[in-house]
This record gives sequence, C-alpha cells and structure tokens, in this order.
Amino acid sequence: MRIITLTCPTCGTVVAANVLEEERITKCPGLGCDEVLAFEQLPETEREYFLEHRQRYQM
Amino acid sequence: MKGILLSGGTGSRLRPITHTGPKQLIPIANKPVLQYVVEDFKEAGITEIGVVLGNKGREAVQKFLGDGSRFGVDITYIVQGNPLGIAHAVGCARDFVDGDDFVVYLGDNLLKQTISPLVESFEEGDYAGGIALQQVPNPERFGVAELDDSGNVERIVEKPDDPESDVVLIGVYVFSPRAFEAIEAIEPSWRGELEITDVFQWLIDDGQRIDSHTVRGWWKDTGKPEDIVEANHLVLEALDATVDGTVADGAETMGRIDLHETATIESGAVVRGPVSIDAGTVIESDAYIGPYTSIGPDSTIRNTHIENSVLVGESTITSNGKIIDSLIGRGAELRSAEDALPEGRRLVVGENSNLRL
Repeated sequence: MRIITLTCPTCGTVVAANVLEEERITKCPGLGCDEVLAFEQLPETEREYFLEHRQRYQM
Repeated sequence: MKGILLSGGTGSRLRPITHTGPKQLIPIANKPVLQYVVEDFKEAGITEIGVVLGNKGREAVQKFLGDGSRFGVDITYIVQGNPLGIAHAVGCARDFVDGDDFVVYLGDNLLKQTISPLVESFEEGDYAGGIALQQVPNPERFGVAELDDSGNVERIVEKPDDPESDVVLIGVYVFSPRAFEAIEAIEPSWRGELEITDVFQWLIDDGQRIDSHTVRGWWKDTGKPEDIVEANHLVLEALDATVDGTVADGAETMGRIDLHETATIESGAVVRGPVSIDAGTVIESDAYIGPYTSIGPDSTIRNTHIENSVLVGESTITSNGKIIDSLIGRGAELRSAEDALPEGRRLVVGENSNLRL
C-alpha cells in the first residue's frame, strides 16, 4: 500500500497524508515548530493518488 | 540503527482510564510504560527514535517525551493519524529511517530482558527482519512463528486455530530498509489495516531471511486493566527501592519500599513491600499498603487496605475497606459510605468502568 507523508522542512516531523487532507492547512505538530503544513505541499501525483484512493486511508 | 516507538491506538480496552489520556502513559511502578521503552532503546544503543502518534493522546505523549533530551535520546515525531495498522505506522517512518536498519517497539509492551540480544543477533547475519518471540500457553491468540532448524522464520500465521508451535510474536521487531518494499507491496487485511505479519511473510516469500530471538524473561502487553496490574507486579518484583521520604515513628514498614523524598508514611500506617509511593503522597494512620502496590503522586490514603493495585495519582482513598487487584485512575476519590443514610453505595462512575462491589 502506498504510504504518503510530508516531512516538515524545519523540524523533521513527519505527517501522514490522511492528517494533511483532513486538516488541509495545519500548524506543524512538531514541538515548538511554527511551520505551516498543507495537503497542497504534497507532490501533485501523490495528492491525486491519495484522493483517488481516499477510502483506503480512512478507518 | 534507529528506533520506531509506536504510540498510537485508542486504548479501548483500558477505558475509562484512557478516556483522559493515552494508554502508553499509564504508570507501572510510577513510571509510564513509554518510558520503559525509551530506556530499553537507549540501553541497546539506539538514541535516534521516531515516535509514531495517532489521533488520540498526541499532545500528552509529546509533553511527556519532549525532544527526548530528558532521557538522553533524540526524538522525531511521526503523525500517523488514522490507525491504519502497525505496518502503516512503520511506513510513515520511512523518511525518518532514511535507509538505516531499525527496531520497531510497540509502546504498550514491557519486557524484562533488554532488546540488545535481539538487535545483536539481527546485526550478525544478513537479515531483512528479525522478530522477538516468546513461548506462551495459548498461541492461538497471537501471531505464531514457525522456525527452521537454524531459527530462521519460515512462516507466520495470525491466530491459527491449530498452532504448529507455541512461540509467538511479541511487540518488538527489527527491520532492514527492505521492509518498506514489503509495506508498499502488501494490501490491507480484512479489518482495513496493514498488518506487520504480512510484511514479514512478504519478505519470507521474497526469499529474504528473518531472524528470531526468544525472549527469556517476562513480556507483558499492557492492553487491559488486569495486564497493568500484572505488569506492575512484575516490575515491583525486581524493584530497586530506596526510602528517600519520611517514615514516622510508629509506622510499620517491611520489604522493599520505594518512597519518594516528598512522600510520607505516618504513624499507625503499615506498608509491606514491594511497594512504590510517588511524590507528595501521604499514607496516613490506619492505612495498610500491601505488596505489589504502586501509588502515584499527590494521593492520600487513610483507613484503607490496598494490595496488588495501581493508583495513577492525585487520589484520596479513605474508604474503610479492602481494595485489591485494582487500577484506579487519576483524581479518583473513594470514601466510606458507612455513616451515610440511607445505607448504600454512592457512585459516580465513568463510561466503560468496571466495578466489583
């Protein structure tokens, strides 16, 4: 199964695509990190794949 | 070698305790389960740890572990979000692992033995993975490993009706980066999760070698209240205790008692170890604290008999009764209803509580 994540460029915290898609734009959950992370920051191919297979990433 | 500590999950079998916090922070001998795992990693020389967080209890875990410096390790957080299985959690850690070998440790598992022998055994051969095993009397409830004569894993069967072996997988695994190929290749199981057993089976079917190491000491999955009480018993059994607190004249103490420097055992109280009593707690007159009991911080115990139990902390127990084999959550208050009329018990019980009165 393809696993899609985004790594915060500032603190290295890794966030799964299902979290980014749900929040759309979110403050990095890393401790004390002010970076803003967004689903749109994922590469286009990754976003498309995630949205096409969205139900596989839900519980 | 890096470490991946899994700290997600809903803790549904530990409700109501987990309504207000993650299961990995429930204390065993006054130390969260998670801390034992971090210390085990460190003892094995693994100080770069990725902590995988779910949707629940994320902030509490981060607040406790911080950046890891308090424990002499370096922590990176990995937010998995939806609980899509252990293999999905591991897959989320791919960037963190960055081509290294790594150990995966379930954050609610406790081992008596350090993971060092498992790691050393893995590093001695050309393995794609390694599993920690333990013999159990009820293998049909676990993932069962079938081994060849050299101890390499030939097959893993999840909860078989008729197990061919009594050695089962416990919550510690070692992997080479080849694991990520397997994770990409496997599909979710019938329950919608990516299963770690499927990762191992894919690697085996791909011709890779999987090492095994049988854990000799005890192992506990602390997923249920009775597991917490039992794990507390096992940890206290080997407790390295020091009485730093105050034991008043007239208090009776026996056995190994770990008493925090700000805790007090007052005159008229009886405490028989092994027992752990945390900061600010007072054991007052006419209280009996029996073996295998841990009492968390800022609690008051009076006129009560407590044995083989875990009190998370900030509790007041003055119930004039016997409490045994119990797990009592933070901030609980148990008082006597003896003089109250009309006669009867008065309860404020949270959802999913379990009481035997």
